[in-house]
Amino acid sequence: MSNEKITDAAMNGALDGFEAASAAAEIDNSLDFDDDPLSATGVSRKSLVIFFLIDTSGSMKGKKMGELNTVMEELIPEIRRVGEADTEVKVAVLTFSTDVRWMYSTPIPIEDFEWARLRANGVTSMGAAFKELSLRMSRNSFLNSPSLSFAPVIFLMTDGYPSDDYREGLKELQSNSWYKFGLKAALGIGNEANDDVLAEFTGSKDTVVHAYSGGQLAQMIKIIAVTSSQIGSKSMTLSDDTGREIGEEDVFAAKQKLLGQQIQELVGSQVEESDVPFDTGW
Amino acid sequence: MVELEIGQEVEMEFGGKAQVLSVIGSGGQGTVYLVRFNGMKWALKWYDIDKMKKPKAFRKNLETNINDGPPSNKFLWPKYLTKEAEDGTFGYIMELKPDGFDSFVDILNTYKLEIDPLTGHAVKRDVKFTSLTAMITAVINIVNAFRQLHRAGKSYQDLNDGGFFINVNTGAVLVCDCDNIAPDGSNFGIGGKPGYMAPEVVRGIAQPNVQTDKYSLAVVLFKLLFRGDPMEGEKVVRDVCLTEASELKHYGQNAIFVYDPNDASNRPVRGIHDNVIKFWRIYPDYIKDAFIRSFTTGIDEPSKRIIENEWQKLFIRLRSEIIMCGCGRTNFTSMFVQPNEKTFKCPKCGMEFATLGFSNRDSRMPLYLGCKFYECEITPESDDFTTVAGELVENKLKPGVLGIKNCSERMWKAKMPDGTFYDISPGKGFPIWQGLEIDFGGITAKI
Repeated sequence: MSNEKITDAAMNGALDGFEAASAAAEIDNSLDFDDDPLSATGVSRKSLVIFFLIDTSGSMKGKKMGELNTVMEELIPEIRRVGEADTEVKVAVLTFSTDVRWMYSTPIPIEDFEWARLRANGVTSMGAAFKELSLRMSRNSFLNSPSLSFAPVIFLMTDGYPSDDYREGLKELQSNSWYKFGLKAALGIGNEANDDVLAEFTGSKDTVVHAYSGGQLAQMIKIIAVTSSQIGSKSMTLSDDTGREIGEEDVFAAKQKLLGQQIQELVGSQVEESDVPFDTGW
Repeated sequence: MVELEIGQEVEMEFGGKAQVLSVIGSGGQGTVYLVRFNGMKWALKWYDIDKMKKPKAFRKNLETNINDGPPSNKFLWPKYLTKEAEDGTFGYIMELKPDGFDSFVDILNTYKLEIDPLTGHAVKRDVKFTSLTAMITAVINIVNAFRQLHRAGKSYQDLNDGGFFINVNTGAVLVCDCDNIAPDGSNFGIGGKPGYMAPEVVRGIAQPNVQTDKYSLAVVLFKLLFRGDPMEGEKVVRDVCLTEASELKHYGQNAIFVYDPNDASNRPVRGIHDNVIKFWRIYPDYIKDAFIRSFTTGIDEPSKRIIENEWQKLFIRLRSEIIMCGCGRTNFTSMFVQPNEKTFKCPKCGMEFATLGFSNRDSRMPLYLGCKFYECEITPESDDFTTVAGELVENKLKPGVLGIKNCSERMWKAKMPDGTFYDISPGKGFPIWQGLEIDFGGITAKI
């Protein structure tokens, strides 16, 4: 399969407002003394937006939500370390219950991001969340960095079966180029969450994991968030030495595959914890 | 992968145990820990063996490197191997980065984040060269380090912005991550970082070697001086989303230098690549030509890439062409007016600078209070670009009288205003005047 050219019409307007500097070589230093070789601004960094899609329906109430809030607070400094290199990492959090709601109205740079504790209430409008995400994943909206962007990381967490028509929303999302090239991962929480639905969202079973207890929830969120932002914020690494010239088909979705492998590897190495599953002990 | 626990002890190959104190960082190949060994603190790199293609060969190569020792003191070189754990995992220890050095990544970002351990909030702190001389000295040091490495018959393999620490006050350089260094022609599975990798490595048709190091070196130098990516211009930005396929295209199959004189399709874009646009007009042609060659003919013809010794000569010359004007403006002579071939004039304040012409080169060295020249500039065949041989100073007993002080350890001869040559012993000096001539013992110079 060949790598499709990104067709999102909004993407093509990328250079609007920027003037190519082909004529910039014309030296005019008669009056301009802005020529100090040391007065550089930071090298223009590539940007990466990490989208967290979080189920805040009523069933998340209590331990799940408490655990999730705590681990997300702790996670931010860890992701910050990932972004220290030459990528500017931003975070956007979309919550869905009866309504869908962004935690902040725009993606926030990881350095400045502060987790606002979430509360659980209502039903699971996952389809509506997919639609809202698709709307915002556009050059004109949340992905408006003037320089180059890596494909976004999209991390879905849910504990239940969608209460609306998620397929309709997913269909809309699947036509979005940023989604197509994005790194997708999902976490099912507790027994109700349906891994097949989640695999439909991520496109493969490898990038879906499941947490049955509070301890696991914290572990899985960290594994997925840190691994996906590590992979997402870097350029592709070389595939195995093929002994021949690499073509587009060799690298297509290479990062998504790598993410699947690493998540499975890390999840496999986690020792089963003896703490109490969410659905027992009531 | 087996991660180490804080407090855990790791057995070293030749006895003794290193105790894990904390995590320093983690990368693609493993994790680096702060450890205590033999009463001293060290950095321990512990590999993720699952990610290694040839762990046995990798360990053997590391062992060879440890036995060979570093090519010079500019390398944070592997020091001791650990024993292999049950699953074959191993690591090595190296010295810690000394204080006063910043990472190349932070220099490119112009700041670093310091995280408050209590609140987790990040505070930005500036990371900038404090003088132009320090920046160019850093360039010379980087080039020289790779010259030494290549002379030892080894290649660095995955040269990128994570590979250096630099002192922004002095330009001193430490090359780190030396564990992938291998004899030229061998590769133990490392590819590199797109943007730094040579196009033939990105395309998969060559493995890292000394020639691909030369390409990566040119990228590092370009980024340090021009503060941008040599291949990222209009053509690349139009793609907006950097997918794996677009990286393969823009850094491999269809890499085009932003200032390729024969192809204007990938020029820097205002608003995104302002640094490159601004700095490209500042540097003299001989520097720009070297980059043009590296990133045009050098893309397809690895043997035409600039060799380290050539870079070294170019940047030693560039350092000698810095002028620090009394008005506060510091720049290269290429950005000063030249009323005649022996004089430079500051276009901002009008101050004029006399120059010294040396018998071993065509370029002239501007004279200003505090300017220095180095051993390699006055001694034939010398490679010593760090020892100051002479400095322009003010006479302590006759304020306002400027002269050159002999900071070297050899006797010079200089023509004084009375028309005769006098011996100038180390520590002595002579005034600058219209008819000044200096004999450094082989190489001579004239005003």
